[in-house]
Amino acid sequence: MTSSGRLNKENRGPEAEHKALPDGYGSTEAALLPRDPNWMFIYWEISDNSRVNLKRKHGADIFEKGRQVIRVHDASDGAKAFFDITVMHEARSWYVNVQEPGRAYFCEVGLVLPDGTFISIVKTNTVSLPAGRVSDVTDEKWMAVTADFDKLLQLSGVEYIGKGSGEVAKSLAQRWEMLRAVFSRASSWGVSSMSSQALHKQPEEARKFRLVADCELILYGATEPDAFVTVAGRKVSLNPDGTFSMRFALPDGEMGLPVKAMSKDEKDLREIDIKVRRTTKTDGK
Amino acid sequence: MANNEKGYLALVLHAHLPFIRHPEYDDFLEEDWFFEAMCETYLPLLDIYERLTAEGTDFRVTMSLTPPLCNMMADELLRERFRRYYNLRLELAEKEAVRTRNTPYQDAARMYEAKFRRIRELYEDYYHGRILDGFKKFQDMGKLEIITCGATHGFLPLALRKEVVHAQVKLAADDYRKHFGRGPRGIWLAECAYNPGDDVFLRSQGIRYFFLETHGIIYGSPRPRYGVYAPVYCPSGVAAFGRDMESAQQVWSAETGYPGDHRYREFYRDLGYDLEYDYIKPYLHQDGVRRNIGLKYHKITGRVPLDQKAPYNPHEARDVAASHAGNFMFNRERQIEHLEGFLGKKPIVVSMYDAELYGHWWYEGTDFLEFLFKKVHYDQKTIKMVTPSEYLSMHPDNQVVQPSMSTWGDKGYNEVWLNGTNDWMYRHLHKQAERMVELANKFPRAAGTLKRALNQCGRELVLGMSSDWAFLMTVGTAKSYSTKRFVSHTHRFNGLYEQIMGNRLEEGWLKELEWKDNIFPEMSYRVFSTKEMEKAAKG
Repeated sequence: MTSSGRLNKENRGPEAEHKALPDGYGSTEAALLPRDPNWMFIYWEISDNSRVNLKRKHGADIFEKGRQVIRVHDASDGAKAFFDITVMHEARSWYVNVQEPGRAYFCEVGLVLPDGTFISIVKTNTVSLPAGRVSDVTDEKWMAVTADFDKLLQLSGVEYIGKGSGEVAKSLAQRWEMLRAVFSRASSWGVSSMSSQALHKQPEEARKFRLVADCELILYGATEPDAFVTVAGRKVSLNPDGTFSMRFALPDGEMGLPVKAMSKDEKDLREIDIKVRRTTKTDGK
Repeated sequence: MANNEKGYLALVLHAHLPFIRHPEYDDFLEEDWFFEAMCETYLPLLDIYERLTAEGTDFRVTMSLTPPLCNMMADELLRERFRRYYNLRLELAEKEAVRTRNTPYQDAARMYEAKFRRIRELYEDYYHGRILDGFKKFQDMGKLEIITCGATHGFLPLALRKEVVHAQVKLAADDYRKHFGRGPRGIWLAECAYNPGDDVFLRSQGIRYFFLETHGIIYGSPRPRYGVYAPVYCPSGVAAFGRDMESAQQVWSAETGYPGDHRYREFYRDLGYDLEYDYIKPYLHQDGVRRNIGLKYHKITGRVPLDQKAPYNPHEARDVAASHAGNFMFNRERQIEHLEGFLGKKPIVVSMYDAELYGHWWYEGTDFLEFLFKKVHYDQKTIKMVTPSEYLSMHPDNQVVQPSMSTWGDKGYNEVWLNGTNDWMYRHLHKQAERMVELANKFPRAAGTLKRALNQCGRELVLGMSSDWAFLMTVGTAKSYSTKRFVSHTHRFNGLYEQIMGNRLEEGWLKELEWKDNIFPEMSYRVFSTKEMEKAAKG
């Protein structure tokens, strides 16, 4: 993945006319939220005060020297594992993917220096993710034979999990016009593009071993709340604070995502052209 | 006689709309959501309960009436506006009954005329504008079980502060007591969104059960012996009932679901677009833009363009609803017989739907329910309809299982309410929650204007928490309205907070907010204090 540009923080335009929400609340804090068995959402804020203190302690160029990272800790009993996600300095939120569902996690946002030293700036709450599968625990008094349990799962409609018929119902009942857009994969405003068809399925085998994998693309950025923004020629709705993000299906091949923003008075135009290439190889088994 | 049944069916209808009330405008588009649901779902359901009771048909149904909905139903201003709404519709329907003489639309036009007359009769003569009394009447008879929901349909798994979770439940329970004269026995967690452990706050309000999407139960630990066909007890002792997908799919399947039958009413083709502009204009909103007005004269017909839809035949459609009800019951009988044999225990099949599905989107859905109640009562012995409370008193011995985090949203977890379209909200929402708790802890005994301001902070916070705003942003419908609502509640909260902390309250502004956002008129901000939450958690 290559990114040919960085968001430019200079040249901020005049204040948006409509009353936008504050960028932040002037305090250094972070929060972690569960999204599903494999994903969490983290947002954070580092106050000017904290930045000044960090510079005083570690040098005025600490933010140029250090990479901003999210350190994801497994907080389950006895675990000491963690991994880092490097994010750009302007990022204020992120979707964090973990390989192991059903465990507890917390994150730290901090800086990693060229020599590998980690400087922690802020820590989140702990989140327990759902397991997303049938429990291994059985209890004696209420035990069922395994074969029966498989049948029971079938009868319970295990195949429908996550189909969200309640949600379909609600959107149908509320307003119709946008519905097709919601469920068509062309939609670009945040509804995930993932669907079971997109997964590279391995043929069914007698042995129960399986591997399914796919990936998606998240594009995000920020501009003035009243700017006009397009991504790949399509208009993007901005959040009240001027941020935007989109999630795309990522098929094999090359995809161009030119991002353009025009100021409200149409005097400033900024462009960032992002090109992404995906190549998937499977062992064909 | 009584014990011949092979299992139970619990029908659960979730009735909810976000709190939408704009006294600052004379005419407000989104208030129509409530009026439409009143005419198409809530009053028609009461009509069915009235008829069944009058003719001696016993029935059981569980309905959530969420606190925002109860507050809107009880609100003076919305009651007046609802009168204006149905009177205009009735006037139009009466004109139409004349205009369509000797046309293929006469039957449909007459149906609307009769329908709006009946709505007026029910609303005025039966309930004197207090529709909640109507629901209460059937609850007191033991036929309907009304359950509550989080105070503003707040999405609890994404709330960081337990004080706020507790407040959503406590405010709801208090509101329920006010309207229905006793505490709620059950609750519908907004979006069926369950976060393990939050059930202790249900217990502290005397709530005995709630509902989960299928995988909330079957991914629970230890393995649930009976799947979703028996409730489980959370470690707190509150029972969780799981959704049956087979009956849900029967109604909802895109290919085979009942509502798609070609003889049913077409939703898209609406008189608001069909009639001559000058004739229809008095029934549109003040901006004069053509919109759906709820009178529709065509049937689905088939996969044909809107201008080729055939005239709607109400009698034919009603017959189809009867046969679909028969089919639904037949399938439940077979399902329950099979499950009983397989489990060695009488199963409970919990069929959960949005109430507004019936009547609003699936126009004949209310007829379907009426036929279903009758057929279950008269035509079979396999199924017994129950409320969850009845089931629990008959079968108190259930397995203890910790259910899994889950929702009934797309993909089964929190993504519908947490994605690129709406994740920006939580930074603000959490800050408000933190500040609200801070205020409640700092001022344990406020009085006068300060107390009013603190209460109003609580209202603004909970109004911003409605899961509806995040949902609407995700589906992209009414996105600008939902964004505006969230942003304005945030501004109102933060403004009040700064005024309180700076000791410079502007009473005029406070008054304006009390007038605009008047949900939970009797609430106390103390519900947000850490002490109250801890007390509740201990039970």
